[in-house]
Amino acid sequence: MNRTSKVEFTFELIRILVAVGIAYAIALITLFLVSDDPVFIIQQFVLGPFSSARRIGSIINQAVPFIFTGLCFCFMYAVNKFNLSGEGIFMFAGCVISYVAIKMVPNLPLPVMLILLLAVGALTGIVITMIPAWMDSKFGANIVVSSLMLNSILVFFTIYIVNYILRDTSIGYIGSYPLPDGAKLPTMLGKFRIQTSLFLAIIAVALVTILFYKMVFGYKMRVVGSNPQFARACGINMTGTIIAAQLIGGALAGMGGATEIMSNYDRFTWTASTQHGFDGLMVAVLARKNPLLVPIAALLLAYIRIGADVVNARGDIPVEFITVIQGIVILMVAADEFMGGIKKKMIYKAAADELSHEDKAKLTEGSVIEEKKED
Amino acid sequence: MAQEILRMEDITKIYDNGFVANKNVTFWLNENEILALVGENGAGKTTLMKVLFGLETPQTGQVFMNGEPVKILNTLDAIGKGIGMVHQHFMLIPSLTVAENVVLGVEPMKNGIFDFQAAVSMTDEVAKKYNFNIDPLAKVSDLSVGQMQKVEIMKVLIKGAHIIIMDEPTAVLTPQETEELFEQLILLRDSGHSIIFISHKLEEVKRICTRVTVLRHGYCLGSYELADMSEADISRLMVGRDVILKIEKEAPTVGKNIVSIRNLVKIDSTGKRVLDDISFDIHEGEVIGIAGVEGNGQSSLSDVLSGMDGFTSGTVTLNGQDIKGKTVHEIRETGLAYIPEDRMVYGCAGDMSIRDNIIADRYFRGEFKNGLFMKQKHIDEIVNQYIKDFEIACDDLKEPVRMLSGGNIQKVVVAREFTSGANFILANQPTRGIDVGAAEMIRKTIVRKSREEGTATLLISADLNEVLECSDRLLVMRKGKIVAAFPKANEVSEDVLGEYMLGIRTMTAEEMEGLL
Repeated sequence: MNRTSKVEFTFELIRILVAVGIAYAIALITLFLVSDDPVFIIQQFVLGPFSSARRIGSIINQAVPFIFTGLCFCFMYAVNKFNLSGEGIFMFAGCVISYVAIKMVPNLPLPVMLILLLAVGALTGIVITMIPAWMDSKFGANIVVSSLMLNSILVFFTIYIVNYILRDTSIGYIGSYPLPDGAKLPTMLGKFRIQTSLFLAIIAVALVTILFYKMVFGYKMRVVGSNPQFARACGINMTGTIIAAQLIGGALAGMGGATEIMSNYDRFTWTASTQHGFDGLMVAVLARKNPLLVPIAALLLAYIRIGADVVNARGDIPVEFITVIQGIVILMVAADEFMGGIKKKMIYKAAADELSHEDKAKLTEGSVIEEKKED
Repeated sequence: MAQEILRMEDITKIYDNGFVANKNVTFWLNENEILALVGENGAGKTTLMKVLFGLETPQTGQVFMNGEPVKILNTLDAIGKGIGMVHQHFMLIPSLTVAENVVLGVEPMKNGIFDFQAAVSMTDEVAKKYNFNIDPLAKVSDLSVGQMQKVEIMKVLIKGAHIIIMDEPTAVLTPQETEELFEQLILLRDSGHSIIFISHKLEEVKRICTRVTVLRHGYCLGSYELADMSEADISRLMVGRDVILKIEKEAPTVGKNIVSIRNLVKIDSTGKRVLDDISFDIHEGEVIGIAGVEGNGQSSLSDVLSGMDGFTSGTVTLNGQDIKGKTVHEIRETGLAYIPEDRMVYGCAGDMSIRDNIIADRYFRGEFKNGLFMKQKHIDEIVNQYIKDFEIACDDLKEPVRMLSGGNIQKVVVAREFTSGANFILANQPTRGIDVGAAEMIRKTIVRKSREEGTATLLISADLNEVLECSDRLLVMRKGKIVAAFPKANEVSEDVLGEYMLGIRTMTAEEMEGLL
């Protein structure tokens, strides 16, 4: 690495840590201000998520759907299309697989059911993402607007299905008939109660990373995302690549919705958008659209969430204030120019150091100049 | 001893990407002189002037005017201190009249309303005083490039500038227009202005300047009285060696038709015929140069041939295949290699590695992939070979392209295009803004490929020296038409070329017979 890239790399790392640190500091200060027993609350917030096997398991379990939706947004991000339909797909895919499991194939054994439902979830995601992706490429419809509108449609369509098709009227709340046993993923590691869907998430991360960095399609996608004009001049099929990337993203969101239902629910009970999609967007931003970093970002987010839950259960702090912390983290990580001044100074300094080593006399000689970089 | 009116002391400017554009440069300007500021592209001339004009803030250094230290905060501040800059690319509003453009920023007002009559008389006054022969009521869009430049200079003068920075003013002018400009500059000098004349055309510098300051790679090598210097002396200082302007090349062995263009017409969205009935052939083994003042259809021609844009009528065939309606990918597979005009937009993806940039046009070939996967090892080997062959100065093949210098970025582009296996190379401004070493390597490779491999090349360049030296046949484009054709480019003089480029002379179809 040359000096500028070294500075950039170190800086990126420091910047993310500082952003998280500042958000944490603000959270702690807020706790001090609003709580009667701040020391206890802070201890709960920071260490609470690790205080029992169950909670550690919960961090991991919460991270699983974030990994799926985070990967989904890595694809949207990679081709510079802010297709937000992952949010609606997550919920709708959960509903569709519940329908398939309850109404169509209730008696399948778990392995077959798992594969079938994952496929159905993925297919749902592909079909749904196709709508804003196609409208964008064909009519230039703003993809943010169309995908957000689509999310609303999906939410109410899901509510309709639950209310009028799947609703079990024998229970005292809105929910579907019970899911067949074959559609429930077991937990593992005893007290930790870690979901087996973790394996699916790990496999997804591995496959997506390979796709991004080892496969022809991933290369095409990165060129298109990095500089579309250049991709065009090189003859890379832009429209096809952009749409295909979004469809894969949609499939991942759909599988995320499917595994979430299969891991955590006896019945389908969602009647409002789950926010997993937007959380995934946040994870992808934190991970800088690098699929390999998605699990880390997802775990971080899950850890903060569980901390909030612990505080909420044990103390006098509402869970909502955690949302504020998340907001600050995202703001700081996403703002490219945050601490930009310091970065520039580091680059200037590195360049100036280099200068002092350079021999000016060498340049003033009349002889042939060596081939050297000017930066 | 002439009175020193401006001094820039110890200026260092480092850009955000770590590029050091100026390194402890010291520079001064005397009253009533035309000072030449010379250096290769990328030597830091423009940056230094941007610092002076308040467009860039340097990391270190101090500016003195009339011996007093001053701080130039922004361009308004610079104008207020009597500094004016005539940019290389004109900053005019084409739909307005000359007078309206000239008074922009110092508009005369009457009762709170823009006073057009006063603007006209102000413009007239400046035009008379400095002998600009220009109609204040003319629309800027109707003017020639030379006249537009006059408007730019008048803009600067009307704001009371006594230090005028001219950034490569002759780059866009024909030889005749250049003459006129020089008379103007001498008149300005004699009427008490000081001019900083940025150029890398040494004969021009020799003619109108008294002193020269030389920059190289961001360093100031010193200021010299031009009376004691020959052109060769200056050029040695600029590039550190004697520039070899001549490219040794044998006569081309012309083979079969590779590209054939017939009655090509392109009408743009405004209804203008940007390509107007163009017909010519490019054969195996020859380099065809296209000269012309920029903006006369060269870019459109390049867009059509590369498939980046469509055309209205006519036919274009490459290796016998009609390219109408074909995608860039299909045209490239038919045998096109394309060095685009703007390398940062069309030539590379700055954030991606050298490796990823080099394989962008061929990643899909069987050689580089294994089913759905890329053959990483094989790609690395080949890219490393190209880095060596094309002398790309970099840390390794994973370095993002944006971290390289301009010349090395262009080497990445040509490493891709020259090795693509195509038999037609479309090179649009292949050496613009890069160092002499890289430029020379690229020019030589173009000629060598045509001689050794029989490649057909279309070289579009604003650098007359380049088209004259590299081309075999030379065509001149003006207003979307081919207005002249010469069988041997290196026998054409720049003066004659200038007359065709400007439209003073035009060849008839009979004269060009057999040369297209």
